[in-house]
Amino acid sequence: MADLEIRDLHVRTEDREILHGVDLDISRGEIHALMGPNGSGKSTLANTLLGHPSYEITEGTITFGGEDITDAEPHERAKAGLFLAFQYPVAIPGVSVANFLRMAINARREQPIGVKEFRSDLQHAIELLDVDRTFTSRHLNDGFSGGEKKRAEILQMAMLAPEVAILDETDSGLDIDALRTVAEGVQRLHDEQGLGALIITHYQRILHYVKPQFVHIMMDGRIVLEGGIELVERLEREGYEEIRREFGATETGAVPAGDSGA
Amino acid sequence: MPERGDRTTPGPTTALPAGSDGGAGRPALSKAAANGDGATRVKPGRHREATLYHALAGAGAGDGRTLAQLREAAREAYAGAELPVWRRSGFWTTSLQGLDLDALEVHPRAGAAGLGQRDGAGAPDELPDVVRRTLPDRARAGRLVQSDGAVVHVELDPQLAGRGVILCSLEDAFREHPDLVAPLYSKRLTIDRHKLEAANAAFWSGGAFLHVPAGVTVAEPFEIVYAIESPGVAQYARTLVHGGQASEFRVHEYDLADDFEGHPSGNRQALHAGAFELYLDDGARCRLAQLQDWGSGEVYDVSTRFVGVGRDAYCHWLPALLGGHLVRQHLELAVSEPGGEMAFRGLFFTEEQEHLDVFAVDLHETGPSSGDVHWRGAATGQSRASFEGLIQIDPGAQQTHTYLQIHSMMLSPKARVDAIPSVLVSADDVSASHGGTVGELDETAIFYMQTRGLDRPAAVRVIVEGFFEPVISELADEPLEQLVRAKVAEKLAAAREDIEAYASSR
Repeated sequence: MADLEIRDLHVRTEDREILHGVDLDISRGEIHALMGPNGSGKSTLANTLLGHPSYEITEGTITFGGEDITDAEPHERAKAGLFLAFQYPVAIPGVSVANFLRMAINARREQPIGVKEFRSDLQHAIELLDVDRTFTSRHLNDGFSGGEKKRAEILQMAMLAPEVAILDETDSGLDIDALRTVAEGVQRLHDEQGLGALIITHYQRILHYVKPQFVHIMMDGRIVLEGGIELVERLEREGYEEIRREFGATETGAVPAGDSGA
Repeated sequence: MPERGDRTTPGPTTALPAGSDGGAGRPALSKAAANGDGATRVKPGRHREATLYHALAGAGAGDGRTLAQLREAAREAYAGAELPVWRRSGFWTTSLQGLDLDALEVHPRAGAAGLGQRDGAGAPDELPDVVRRTLPDRARAGRLVQSDGAVVHVELDPQLAGRGVILCSLEDAFREHPDLVAPLYSKRLTIDRHKLEAANAAFWSGGAFLHVPAGVTVAEPFEIVYAIESPGVAQYARTLVHGGQASEFRVHEYDLADDFEGHPSGNRQALHAGAFELYLDDGARCRLAQLQDWGSGEVYDVSTRFVGVGRDAYCHWLPALLGGHLVRQHLELAVSEPGGEMAFRGLFFTEEQEHLDVFAVDLHETGPSSGDVHWRGAATGQSRASFEGLIQIDPGAQQTHTYLQIHSMMLSPKARVDAIPSVLVSADDVSASHGGTVGELDETAIFYMQTRGLDRPAAVRVIVEGFFEPVISELADEPLEQLVRAKVAEKLAAAREDIEAYASSR
């Protein structure tokens, strides 16, 4: 049994169904890539997995570590070991990165983390991500550049040590150096801590630095194709259009996904 | 000096109102314009019109009169006045109609020890419960505690006393240091704008006097405490602080009341009518912080505070207004001599049925000078908080540079915060501007923090504390910062259901 099991997941927001039955298994130590054109439902899946209140699950289940978390509160999912690196991380003014991390760590512990232990963990994470020491005393994401925000996401991930992390377009808007830092960070957490990851991306770029064992292609709210790294190479050659033709999916965004019929 | 109460000052006048609702700001140039009817503006006998939202901006009542003469004049004003109403048309009304003034006792603690003075050398265990509970255990330069109508405790670091620092009840100061007190008493405070101001000037007892002589620097704070221990009390509080040339010191004022739960009298009302004045001589520097929390009783607080900044002097003033049934504060920070600087910070947090009305004035009487006003406030329950911030630059106050910002956050569907920044400029070589925001809880930020493992109340707390943090951290005093943070957290915990309901209703 996989650590994270998604079964026949149907999700709607407002009056539109976005996901029409998604099945996916992710376990610790596995790196998955979820690829697909804009609007195919990738971010909806990411947000739904963490329990975003705007997305309603109308059918299907999510289980994590054997527990049904379909209706769990977001913080309960986090405590169980799920993590979401946001596509657009949110600024939290007035709270330093370090203080926020301490709160988040303590939220999942009986006893607050000791000062020394926290400091040494933080030092390790800082080195991993190649950020400045002063970074952690700045207010979280407040006035951060795009690259700094993404680094802060990975820093949090490193400190919170989840079982399975979902990275929602963490590669978008990053220059090549930042992309490499972030990707290598993910790879090291996988190698050192056995992190399981679902890397959601629209491009192939990041997959030159993190090697997925499993690749899933999503279109119109369904996973239409699954395979190994060779799928990434095929996408690079052919683009999404070829696959779209093969699976008879509609033009992205042209028709509300819920009306696509098939 | 412009005529007091005249906001249609001729000359290069700019008025830039900006209602916090994003455009429905009142025309602020004059009240005549605001009412759209100049002809009916002034009605004889409408005392409240004359006291409404104007800077004091002028000489006080002191002016050579003795304390007895001032008390007598104030008593007459008191007898002839109705309880005041403050009204900002279209925004809010602050009315004292719920206050049963006649049912309150004025000098409940004056006893054998004389009017307003119990044994001054009281041991710390005589401190009112609410004071012992609230004040941080920390190093301090001195402490004066008034409970109800009497000073119950005074202590002062003997070394400071040896260097000429004075901390005593204002009554004692009039007896023992008349040369220091008389020229400053009511120098800039009026005694007859409304009934409760007159009552304060006529009936105050106890009181606090702090004098820091020229050249004396004191690192730890002087604490001045006004406590109301039981309902049925009218506390007329009077504070006078003087910083001599190039002195440097901190003042922490606490305004506290017990909760009055289950008091045998059945009465839940009390009144604090305060008058506070602080004068800084040339080059003096003062950090003034005020923590007000009147508890859950029905405490009315109608106070006027004036801070005068002398030549090249500096004042950092930070009131933290954290509760009271009905609170009306006139807070005026005036740069009176060239080179003066001020930083006017503030925060407020109202809950349940509370009503808060703050009028904060950044007054520049001469230039060059600089000012910086930054307030933050939040409201829960069905509370109302109204903030008017006025930048007033008098004729001749050239090369004044000042900025006012007010940020507010509504945490409940029935709470309301109004914020009106306004600017009244009568000089042409100045810069004066203002800005502000009105915010609600950001659901995306809450979700973000939840995905890190914080539950919803914790996430809300992080947002609200983060919202206040830029002001709280400016206290630059760890024990006081911790206390304010704890009070904010306490209020959030109490309003938890309310905030939940708000979130699910949207």
